[in-house]
Amino acid sequence: MGVVLRNLQSVVPLRRARLRRDVEVLRHIFGVQRFDLGIICVDNRRIQHINNLYRKNNQPTDVLSFPFYEDLRPGKIPCALQRDEYNLGDIFLGVEYVKHRCKETSQDLHEALTVVTAHGICHLLGYRHETEEEWIEMQQKESYILSEFNRLTGSHLEPLTKRCT
Amino acid sequence: MLKSVSRAVQLAARLSISSSAPPLRRTFSRSIWSLSSSGAGSDSRPRLLTATRALPSLSCGCGSLHTEGDKAFAEFLTDEIKEEKKIQKDKSLPKMSGGWELELNGTEAKLNRSLSGEKVTITFNVNNSIPPQLEEDPEHTQKSPEGEPDIVSTPNFVVEVTKPGVKSSLVFDCHFPEDELFVSEQTAHGETEEESDIFAIREVSFQPEGDAEWKETSYTLNTDSLDWALYDHLMGFLADRGVDNTFADELIELSTALEHQEYIKFLEDLSTFVKCK
Repeated sequence: MGVVLRNLQSVVPLRRARLRRDVEVLRHIFGVQRFDLGIICVDNRRIQHINNLYRKNNQPTDVLSFPFYEDLRPGKIPCALQRDEYNLGDIFLGVEYVKHRCKETSQDLHEALTVVTAHGICHLLGYRHETEEEWIEMQQKESYILSEFNRLTGSHLEPLTKRCT
Repeated sequence: MLKSVSRAVQLAARLSISSSAPPLRRTFSRSIWSLSSSGAGSDSRPRLLTATRALPSLSCGCGSLHTEGDKAFAEFLTDEIKEEKKIQKDKSLPKMSGGWELELNGTEAKLNRSLSGEKVTITFNVNNSIPPQLEEDPEHTQKSPEGEPDIVSTPNFVVEVTKPGVKSSLVFDCHFPEDELFVSEQTAHGETEEESDIFAIREVSFQPEGDAEWKETSYTLNTDSLDWALYDHLMGFLADRGVDNTFADELIELSTALEHQEYIKFLEDLSTFVKCK
């Protein structure tokens, strides 16, 4: 297996190969190369529906993560015993929402998606941002991951600066 | 009727005994003939074999068969055609964005486009393009206002990319995955989430340009067990030539409209054939 990438939307043109390449680098930096990961790109309508269904938040957002392992200690790599346990979970990327934000900040869409994906993988590995402490811990992890990404790829990515809604 | 046949047989047997010359068979057939004859003197005899038996026919003088069933069928078709035309969204076919030129040959459609010297052709056929409607959860099946599930045509389609000066075309066999074949996540609320790409590439091959026949000796790449990064590059290749999710959505609209158009035409031809007009 590896990274299962699905593009369920037609609102935003997406370079699948570019996104996959960046996600593979992130997996390597996080140390979860052996774990399968699902990346599903959706539009505002769908991400809003999922946000409302699972978080009772009836509005679109940039990312929603569905961890395979719940209640992980933040940053702990899961201990898998069988092949089908090598799974981190699924990340839904609200590409339309991210695209709209990029227009406001003049950011490249695919760079923004990489940052959002890094945030999503943090959630799959147990990081939260319900409290100030949790948010600081997650911010630090994201900063480290993205600085490594920048070092390996020559990019200039920065973590999401505000809390997820 | 059976009584008449047995009486005829008895009569034939008596005649064969009393007369030495004619064989039983001829007498029997004569008796049968006499029973079926409509000539003088035959009115008092029970009619066994007459042309008025069995078939309820309504003659229009064309020489073809016309039955009560045909009449009911024709009436049904008239109503059906009226209903189908009523729900037909538009008499004209929807336009594809991106400068695609449409050619039609019955149920087969071709979309052509030139891009910096490259020629891209999409071919599909609306026959057998409507997936089975598996209404496991009727509440979540998309339905029209009348309550009937929407009929959507999702045809397999072939993309041919031909570069100038190159004899072979790069051919992609694509399809619209049916979601029931993929893992469809059941949420805690019992709703199913579609998780397959809008369209997918099944096979890729180099084929002689312009040939209608598929060359079996050309290597054909099957994407079932293909490296996913390579697959994404192939999808990117298509997207750069205008074959992306937007195109796929529009193709469904076009195919659905074309299929409906052909269906109505078929019903009209069937009605004409049945009515024999």
